[in-house]
Amino acid sequence: MPDLGKGWTPGDLDEDWEASAEAKLETVEFDTELGIEISRDAMALARGEMTETAFHEKHHEAVFEEFGIDQRPTYETTVKAKTDDDGDALPGVPDVGGDAVPSRRGLLKTMGGLAAAGAATSMAGCLDQAVDTPASTADSDGGDVQLGMVIDTDKCIACLKCAEACKQENDTDRGSQWMHVFRYEETEYDDVSEGQMPRPCQHCSEPSCTYVCPTQSRFKREEDGIVLTDYDRCIGCKYCEVACPYGVNFLGKDEPTDKSPGFFGSDTDKNDRRVGGPPPAGVMGKCTFCVHRQDDSAQKGTTACEDDCPVDAIHFGDMNDADSQPRQYLRENRDQSRFKLLEEQGNEPNVVYLGNEPSKDATPTDGPFTYEDLGMETLADDGGDDQ
Amino acid sequence: MSTDVFEDRILYPLEHTSKRYYALLAIFSLGTVLFLLAWAYQLNAGVWAVTGIGDWGISAGVPWGLYIGGFVWWVGLAHGGIAISAAVRVIDIDRFAPIARVSEILTVLALSMAAFNIVLSMGRPDRIFNTILWWPATVHHSPLAWDIAVITLYLVLSLTYLCLSLRAEIAAFRHRLPTVFSPLYSMLTIGYSKSEDEKIEQILWWLAVAILALVPLLSGGVVPWLFSLIAAQPAWYGAAAGAAMLTESLTSALAGVIIITAIFRYAYDWEDVIEDRIFRDLAVVLAFLSLATIWFTMHDILTGLYTAPANIGALTGAMLELPFFWLAVVGLVVSVVALFLMIGWPDRFFSIPALVAISVILSVTILNKKVMFIVEGLMFPTAPPLTNLYPSGSYSPTLLEWWLFIGTIVLLGFGFLIATKVIPMVELDPEEVN
Repeated sequence: MPDLGKGWTPGDLDEDWEASAEAKLETVEFDTELGIEISRDAMALARGEMTETAFHEKHHEAVFEEFGIDQRPTYETTVKAKTDDDGDALPGVPDVGGDAVPSRRGLLKTMGGLAAAGAATSMAGCLDQAVDTPASTADSDGGDVQLGMVIDTDKCIACLKCAEACKQENDTDRGSQWMHVFRYEETEYDDVSEGQMPRPCQHCSEPSCTYVCPTQSRFKREEDGIVLTDYDRCIGCKYCEVACPYGVNFLGKDEPTDKSPGFFGSDTDKNDRRVGGPPPAGVMGKCTFCVHRQDDSAQKGTTACEDDCPVDAIHFGDMNDADSQPRQYLRENRDQSRFKLLEEQGNEPNVVYLGNEPSKDATPTDGPFTYEDLGMETLADDGGDDQ
Repeated sequence: MSTDVFEDRILYPLEHTSKRYYALLAIFSLGTVLFLLAWAYQLNAGVWAVTGIGDWGISAGVPWGLYIGGFVWWVGLAHGGIAISAAVRVIDIDRFAPIARVSEILTVLALSMAAFNIVLSMGRPDRIFNTILWWPATVHHSPLAWDIAVITLYLVLSLTYLCLSLRAEIAAFRHRLPTVFSPLYSMLTIGYSKSEDEKIEQILWWLAVAILALVPLLSGGVVPWLFSLIAAQPAWYGAAAGAAMLTESLTSALAGVIIITAIFRYAYDWEDVIEDRIFRDLAVVLAFLSLATIWFTMHDILTGLYTAPANIGALTGAMLELPFFWLAVVGLVVSVVALFLMIGWPDRFFSIPALVAISVILSVTILNKKVMFIVEGLMFPTAPPLTNLYPSGSYSPTLLEWWLFIGTIVLLGFGFLIATKVIPMVELDPEEVN
């Protein structure tokens, strides 16, 4: 073996080296020539004869073709995937390459492998991309549609219009606030500042509620990433509610309020599953991103809370599309701080907040209104009728 | 005691029925009817309307309460029975043989009551079979599906074990068993021939091994995993929950076996059948199990207080303020002290009523601990900043909830009353038929 220490020269890369490299590489199933080529260039890179960018770019296509994935820091995988068009970092995308810790998705993938093949196919919808190709971990632009929201908490005035609109649109039960607005105070020395944060379901990419569900009635819709409940299948065990870190679930009580004349959207989605509107009694319900609107060509791309927000703080759309309304809003407000709620829980929420994240010492305050004041808790006279 | 007399005494309850039995049956039947009425009421009104449970988050409720606590408690209780019976068979501890049958029935009934508590907690119990229907699709991602699988397996193994162990016995003593249940006996002994006895014994031995292996998988595995895998609830999340819960479960299980066998001994004057030394042996095991339960509790408190992550520290602090927590500690300490006094100075301190009293205290204490574990975890759910922004939850079971939970204990009693009239409650030797 040539000495590849300090004093080596390109001449050292002789036939001996090539033969030994070939022998090693032939024991693995991947392209031997490519391996040798990359090794050669790596040495050139180390000698300073080649730039890092040129090195990564040179073999990108070949590597991608061979392995189906190239996680080396090329333009394609880092700059383009982790920033929007203008190079702004998306919140929630850490600035480190690669997948350092095994994700929940990875764990489930392993477990899925252990299960019967027939069963694995039925996971679709619940685990969404869990059994997808490795390339999907790159999560680059132009992938599947993932509906989400950008909520500007600096703009929000805690008027509760969003909560009211949601109640009116979805005819939810008394006490069920699919959209809730937190109002809180932060005390720093003598300085007290007020904050507000609307909280819909986060429609997570790793929704723990779907994983624990014993009937797959809680599932993530493949077409647009909305997390929904199949009202005909749910057994009301409340495990999803217990496993959700956000507190967005409310068991159906069949106690509609007089705030809403009723639910007029379609309760079945385009796949014929009953997922829209208020849940029947004893069945779990939560924000559906107004699924009845998403399946209706006239209202597609809107939600009740977004429509009624007087200060335009809520922006709803495809988080995977760089040209979508929420992504544009993020771009326009690139100087504002941003956060995702409870990101360390690993659920990969799809609601991005602009403004400051409430601290662990934030204390709730009573706002100018309560849901009672707004008449959102008064029972409808005729009572419930859905079962 | 002569063998003839022994068989006669075990079969006596099957051949004669006392007034006292009818009175008890009437009381338990009434209890069962009241249970069913209360359940019908809850089904009609909805879980949220008539129980203390509610949504966590802005509603400040606790979604799982006494029913789920009761479920975990019943599963734990179910272990003692069959584990003792299986141990008798696998490692030949013959001196426990007289309590094996009662213990097996306790297992089967307790598991059924565990399942019943889940049904009580469900918003839509009419859809329970959806879990079976979708089981093949959910089993590799839902801990609840794992639970259904292991509990069903445990129930099937226990029932198979019970039925197989009855075959030779029923075939031999058929002529002395009540004719009313003839179809049942025919079914149990279908295709029976004397030549199968040896094979059945071998099958039972392997079944016993499987059942013993399932104990740590159930109470030390899938049941605690229902909680300890859930990252959203910091009070539940953790690896030691399985070991701690198994210890608690075995404690309550043994206490349950002591209570039930003492009741049978008293009711049928079986002082010479179920001898004192059986209870003394059980007391020793119970003492060390309760000590281990205290040990695990100490671990929880210490790791939760000493430079713990902020929210875990707050959770532990909050738990120490719950009167129920101190009630549990007192219950455990009193029991351990009393049990060691009984072991150390049996002449002065050991008596079966005292042991039963301690067993009752321990069972209630473990129930308290299980319910507290579930409820306390859900009173302070999620992580900051949501923990501080949402109101902390509160929960107190309604009378109806208490009645339905206690109703499952009444159902167990009702089940035992029926069983005593159908099968011999102590294993008989088929060779001794007369």
